[in-house]
Amino acid sequence: MAHTQELVSPARTGASLAARIDASLFLVFERRETDGATVLSEAAQSPPLRVIRAFPTEDQSALVHLHNVSGGVLGGDRLALSVRVGAGASAQLTTTGATRVYRSRSDNLSAIQINDIVVDENGLLEYVPDALIPFAGARFQQRTRIQLSSGAGLFWWEILAPGREARGECFAYDRVGLRTEIRADGRVIDFENVDLEPAKISMGAIARLGVYRYWITFYVCRAGVESSKWLAAEAHMRETAAPWCKPGEMLWSVSALPAYGLAIRGLALSGREILPALQALWSSAKAFLYGRAPILPRKVQ
Amino acid sequence: MAHPNARSAKELAAGGLAELQLLHLADSALPIGSLAHSFGLETLVSEELLDVARLPEFFEVYLREAGLVEAVFCREAWRIGNTACEAFSPASWLELNEKLGARKPSRESRAASGALGQHFMMAVRNLGDFLVIAEAFDASQSSRSMVHHSAAFGLSGGALGFAPDSVVSAFLHQSLAGLISACQRLMPFGQREATRLLWRLKGTMVETSEKSALCTVDDVASFTPLLDWGAMEHPALATRLFIS
Repeated sequence: MAHTQELVSPARTGASLAARIDASLFLVFERRETDGATVLSEAAQSPPLRVIRAFPTEDQSALVHLHNVSGGVLGGDRLALSVRVGAGASAQLTTTGATRVYRSRSDNLSAIQINDIVVDENGLLEYVPDALIPFAGARFQQRTRIQLSSGAGLFWWEILAPGREARGECFAYDRVGLRTEIRADGRVIDFENVDLEPAKISMGAIARLGVYRYWITFYVCRAGVESSKWLAAEAHMRETAAPWCKPGEMLWSVSALPAYGLAIRGLALSGREILPALQALWSSAKAFLYGRAPILPRKVQ
Repeated sequence: MAHPNARSAKELAAGGLAELQLLHLADSALPIGSLAHSFGLETLVSEELLDVARLPEFFEVYLREAGLVEAVFCREAWRIGNTACEAFSPASWLELNEKLGARKPSRESRAASGALGQHFMMAVRNLGDFLVIAEAFDASQSSRSMVHHSAAFGLSGGALGFAPDSVVSAFLHQSLAGLISACQRLMPFGQREATRLLWRLKGTMVETSEKSALCTVDDVASFTPLLDWGAMEHPALATRLFIS
């Protein structure tokens, strides 16, 4: 049974909801010895970040929906997500909707999100959120650090939208920085650092996005799996991605990381087909690496 | 006590010899094998995303994004190499190359950078008794680690005592010359136009080199998703002129 603790955020006790928020979510998943099922053994949360409970899935994994009950991220907010998946445990994290990053207030402070992820030996984490949508004038910095122990697996995707397209916003945000570092067996296997200020650079340049507006990253990792298997996985996943590649609408690419994983990248003109494509890639990759299909969140079924 | 390697570099720098040596190392004939790689350009051209008219803009952006990352790593390698042999840190050298490899999502481009770096260091090592370069090369070989081109160039420039700004600019020039040469074989792009483009890009190379002094290997950012796509999808091309 999960030990859930609600932490009172000092920022939320102030007079104004517009005050800076320091919120955190700390989750620990463990494999239950009696039946092998994964349980959420610890959950410490401070508003507006919340999890309600962990749902058991058919494959004895634990499914958790991440909520931001304030409805979005404001400039100056500091959000921290810390997740530990214990040895042999298996967890899936998803969101209940897109992460909206609102216009920065007059002080021009960035919202900051820190993700600290640890997957212990032979554990598995599947992080399959909705898109990040930075609104006009938004400022957002995210830093993600992922550590995989021997045999640990990871499926991790992120989708960066250009803004509120329905309102005609496209790259109207002030600044978005996304930094991701993945270490496996103590070795750095991926380091991504982007710092986007659309007012200062041409997002549509050929070396950058060209005609596309959405940028998708998807990491498929399992520490300890030998390099020849990743070459085969690269070819396998390229075949899976091929039907989803429609020049001018959506492109996908697959390549083996220096060790223990694949990088999959997508570019899309619209957000419509992104989740179905990611679902297909996720299913294919999990079947290749684990011999079983993922349990898909309802929104992508 | 100064190491003989450092003293030798000072002596070599006198009388313009250093400039000549740096010109030599930055020559488009080096590193051996550079003509075999397009680093994803072949895919972009094949898919009609890149043509002659777009080359100036493409390379300007390339320099300010991917070029900046390579410049920062080149400069850090210069710092590691610009030391007496006994102060040289193999661990820092290996870590630098591991970090740079982790920034390259394309398997082929990563391997290409590693092959060119290794060839570059082998070529420089054969030019004299440069202890830091030899030790760095041996450390990479014994740990079966990659030596990336920008890191090899920077370390060599540091070990030979060249000025860091010059080394970084020279590396950018060499790598751009290689990419423009690839474009000449991929599209109707003649020698005269290629020379003019490379000439026009020199200002951006210097700016990129200067900017690289303000960044660290951990904070330098880059955003080239379409170029990355081209590099990652290169293995899927049916007909290929280049290895990457």
